[in-house]
Amino acid sequence: MSARRRVVVTGLGSVSAAGCGGSSAVAAALERSAETIAPLKAFTVPDCASRLAAEVDDEELMTLLNADTVRRLSRICRMAVAACRLAAEDAGLEGGARLGLSVGSEYGDFRSGAEFFNGFLRRGPGGLSPMIFPNTVMNSMAAVVAIATGAKAPSVTINQATVAGDLAVLRGAALIASGRADAVIAGGVDEIFLDVYRGLCALGALSPMAGGAREGCRPYSADHNGLVMGEGATFLVLEELEAARARGATIHAEMLGSAWGSIPVAPHTAPASRRDAHQTVRRALERAGVAADSLGRSYGSGNGDPALDDWELRLLEADGIRNPVSLAPLFGQHGGLGALRAAAGTLAARADGAPALVHGIARGGCRTAMVIGRAA
Amino acid sequence: MTRVVVSGLGVVSPYGVGAKTFWAGLATGECTIRPLTVIDTEGFRSRIAAEVPADVLPGIGVSSRRSRADRIALAAAREALAEADLAPRDRAEMGLFVGAVGGGMLEGEEWYCEEKSGRPSSRIRALRSILPVSHAETLAWRLRLGGPRETVVMACASGAASIALGADVIRSGATPLVLAGGVDAITHICFMGFNALKLLDPEPCRPFDRGRRGMSIGEGAAFLVLEDADHCRARGARVLGELLGAGMTTDAHHVTAPHPDGEGMIRAMVDALAASGRAPADIGYVNAHGTGTPQNDRVEALALVRVFGEGRVLVSSTKSLIGHTMAAAGSMEAAATLLSLQHGLIPPTVSLRDPDPEVPFDCVPGTARSVELGAAVSNSFGFGGQNVSLVFGR
Repeated sequence: MSARRRVVVTGLGSVSAAGCGGSSAVAAALERSAETIAPLKAFTVPDCASRLAAEVDDEELMTLLNADTVRRLSRICRMAVAACRLAAEDAGLEGGARLGLSVGSEYGDFRSGAEFFNGFLRRGPGGLSPMIFPNTVMNSMAAVVAIATGAKAPSVTINQATVAGDLAVLRGAALIASGRADAVIAGGVDEIFLDVYRGLCALGALSPMAGGAREGCRPYSADHNGLVMGEGATFLVLEELEAARARGATIHAEMLGSAWGSIPVAPHTAPASRRDAHQTVRRALERAGVAADSLGRSYGSGNGDPALDDWELRLLEADGIRNPVSLAPLFGQHGGLGALRAAAGTLAARADGAPALVHGIARGGCRTAMVIGRAA
Repeated sequence: MTRVVVSGLGVVSPYGVGAKTFWAGLATGECTIRPLTVIDTEGFRSRIAAEVPADVLPGIGVSSRRSRADRIALAAAREALAEADLAPRDRAEMGLFVGAVGGGMLEGEEWYCEEKSGRPSSRIRALRSILPVSHAETLAWRLRLGGPRETVVMACASGAASIALGADVIRSGATPLVLAGGVDAITHICFMGFNALKLLDPEPCRPFDRGRRGMSIGEGAAFLVLEDADHCRARGARVLGELLGAGMTTDAHHVTAPHPDGEGMIRAMVDALAASGRAPADIGYVNAHGTGTPQNDRVEALALVRVFGEGRVLVSSTKSLIGHTMAAAGSMEAAATLLSLQHGLIPPTVSLRDPDPEVPFDCVPGTARSVELGAAVSNSFGFGGQNVSLVFGR
């Protein structure tokens, strides 16, 4: 590539516990004061210490989809298709050979996997549904979105805890920068499903963890005691700057710089270290040409997991970043949350003028950073 | 344009551990598709697969507490890094791209069955490694890899996609080194799913044969050390081959079926050739996706005709030897392609006896063939209309 291809954000679409819609709806959701975390409605979990979640309103979701789509698709695929269509409409973007996808997810369509397996447990080989099996592969959401949006450039699905959405946005920007696509719908999706909820509860990941303290999502607080699950899909439309300008798109902000790296610690651990040999945040800031002290808002992936929250704060402090904002209390932890952070950074940069930092760190050491600012 | 070379290769396959073992098996044309042992196959249409031999796992050098897939992945990755002979500071910068689908599902399925039987399972920790990302977490930790890390889930194109995306990261300047590949172990859900779709042949698969009846599944892992050519030269490392270009496209047509005209496959190959700066006539061999399903092989042949012309390139499917290793297939076939270039030998489509007239290519039936090769293509396609083509050179 002879010249750097600049990447801008031209659309947003989201389906979350805080509402559904394009960029204006996302902006409204971020300003929402009403609680979105509430006692679970989809199922009961009498044997779990956790009761809370941030759930998508299925009635609202159904208004975004036609009957045929609802009939054919699993629930997580419905959310992904709805949010991607909202994002594409927000950007006024159409499909084609230069439109790609980047989808992040923590758990994929676990519901379909369980449903498929349960067929076997109930009736043996004769109980297996060939219709359900394709959903069990984690790229099923990208598959149906590609068909729904006509995206024919690469469609990449990324599996990652905590920062799946962040990583998918970074991957989307990288697909454009490398020339593999001129536009990418990038973000994340997850749904709350009984077996996953119970499994996380049994592993002690959900608030209130092993303790008897008050259940809730309180990232970076002294009394944080685990995460609260959320669900939904949030996607950004990323475009190469000149392509966006050529079609007269509204440019919300620019991805000024980004980096993603790995702190090689044991899986599922979050040590109390300040060291990141890859210097992920510093690299992102350098690529953006932005000093840490000129940042406006900084968003962090803090979700109430005490060890992870503390690790993130130490790492950010080493980079000169303080008081990151967490969106987990508004949306709950899910694969779309990183994309909501990127959306929030986009809207903040557009409103404030100052560049925003979007940071993420997962147990196991996958770390992401992006600097989003106004497009010059 | 940054050139990306391969400086390390590691494989765990149904032949056993090691790239040399892998190549010896491919070169001699030994089919590893046999009765399946890791899961109960009673009542299923197809009851065979290509498994990593049970007797090699205990000596693989990885704790048996890890999932089968993690063990296979770690052994292959270690071999690749050992061959590349990297310093610790290189590893600290090294990216990691892992193509994965099944994760530690085999062990997770045991937990799930126990839970559903109504008794609390003691296997709850299996949940920690059930997801595809488990492999990358294990590899990054055990191998001390500190660069960009991604777990790429693109169905049966995952392994090839991880190589393409890993090379992109090197070309972006983010890091000069990436460990890229794929891994998958046989799981109930995969075996049952392909059986339910009636995509499995009850006999060992016969890609490109007129009488083909489906694929055979397999398992394994392959990892490549991808490296900026200048970086590789500066440290005096051996070059095993060059990744000349890669194409990635999506059909946007159907979740499980390829586009009937092979439109996405054609674009992937054309893009890969364009990126490599090579013309179709420069390609001597295509390691085909070649699953053995009637539909895939017919459409892939159609796409190959459009790109190369009838009979203008040698084509073979190593899936006839090691089965379809799913998320690992793209990287294992990339390894096979590299080794073919190195040795000037094309592995056979071993079970091909009655060539399909709709496949107008010499598909190297029966036995391997010696051919001087300058460049070769490896094709990988998957559910979701995912198409990845890689062009390798010597």
